[in-house]
Amino acid sequence: MNKHTINLRVWLSIPDAEAATVKNTLVRRMGFQDILADVKKERLFSIEVDSGNPEELAKDFVKELVNENKESCKILIDELKFELGYVPVKVALHIEDGEAISTRERLRNRLGFKNVVDVKKATIWKLYLKGQNQERVAKEIAEGLLINPHKDSYEILAKAKITA
Amino acid sequence: MKIAVMQFPGTNCEHECLVAVKTVGLDGELFRWNRPAAELSDFDGYIIPGGFAYQDRVRAGAIASKEPVMGALKEEAAIGKPIIGICNGFQILVESGLLPGTGKIDMALAQNVMVFNKKIVRRGYYCDWINLKHDAMPKRCIGSFIIDKGALLQMPIAHGEGNLVTMNKDLIKKLNENSQVVFRYCDSQGREIPEFPVNVNGSTENIAAICNPEGNVLGMMPHPERAFFDYQLPPFDPRKNSGQAGPGRLVFESMKRYIEVRK
Repeated sequence: MNKHTINLRVWLSIPDAEAATVKNTLVRRMGFQDILADVKKERLFSIEVDSGNPEELAKDFVKELVNENKESCKILIDELKFELGYVPVKVALHIEDGEAISTRERLRNRLGFKNVVDVKKATIWKLYLKGQNQERVAKEIAEGLLINPHKDSYEILAKAKITA
Repeated sequence: MKIAVMQFPGTNCEHECLVAVKTVGLDGELFRWNRPAAELSDFDGYIIPGGFAYQDRVRAGAIASKEPVMGALKEEAAIGKPIIGICNGFQILVESGLLPGTGKIDMALAQNVMVFNKKIVRRGYYCDWINLKHDAMPKRCIGSFIIDKGALLQMPIAHGEGNLVTMNKDLIKKLNENSQVVFRYCDSQGREIPEFPVNVNGSTENIAAICNPEGNVLGMMPHPERAFFDYQLPPFDPRKNSGQAGPGRLVFESMKRYIEVRK
């Protein structure tokens, strides 16, 4: 068995209206104006495969899952790293994720990637925060706006994972 | 008796709601989200119509629930004024904590999951005419004030996220015990079959509408304003173009009756 997890970090290269709305709401409606400098957003696909060359497979998956006219992406094999300068908050469904299941079925059955074992989807909110206690602020933001705890879970990605 | 029909960016059923309000003899006015929230106190009741407020960014209802007008609506609800949230309006009421009325987010309206023979047969957006059973006593809730318990109504649904889920294990029991479940999805004989197409979105216990403990805030996924006039009814409904009112009219008549009684 040659198991690998292919992580695709995908972001809009055109203006992201959803991230702008989240920033506006946090700043204008929820009191984060002195702490929050910016908000950006990425989609994260974590695709588990049990055979094949992960680098080559990743390139094929990008062709299917990323619209290169408006999106950019970064491929990470068996690791998930983020840049310095923001707190990455990962939000995913803890109830069944129909879109992730559909993506898996599409890759496996329609597109013939039989080595795809599982697909997970998440949103990464990149919170550019000022000052101290950034993890506490990120937690407040996640629980105050980014998730509904009855269907979503979140994870503030540990400092150890935040690398240059 | 004046009703504010709320309008957020992306709301798309406000004009139908306004027509419905006026047709039952209430005064109505569109109330844009960016008007001074304090002006809401001039109204006797409120409707949050369906649509896609803020394009459902983050998740349906999340951004609209943070607007100052929602803070003002909480104050009006606390003094007993009626609020009906329809479809996206229901989602906004849930995200703002006005429903189920515990003051916090106690449930979610998650993505539709259609189950048949215990298998998922489809997911996501769906629109159709459905049957509803009124599961509360008359006068329990402002939106069904004049509707008998057990009455069957037909209305259209059109949503992608109406699947009521909760991590609070006691919530459903509490909603049932307090008669806060106002409408449930059922078949044409009133049977609450838990599977698609009767349970049209996978909602827990076929729940289509709930009210707060006081009964003055109602959230419902079906669209009563689209089943208000006989000409809106589908071709297979014998009441179509018959001169009879559509079943959705009862919801607006109920709101009017509640306001009359309250005054």
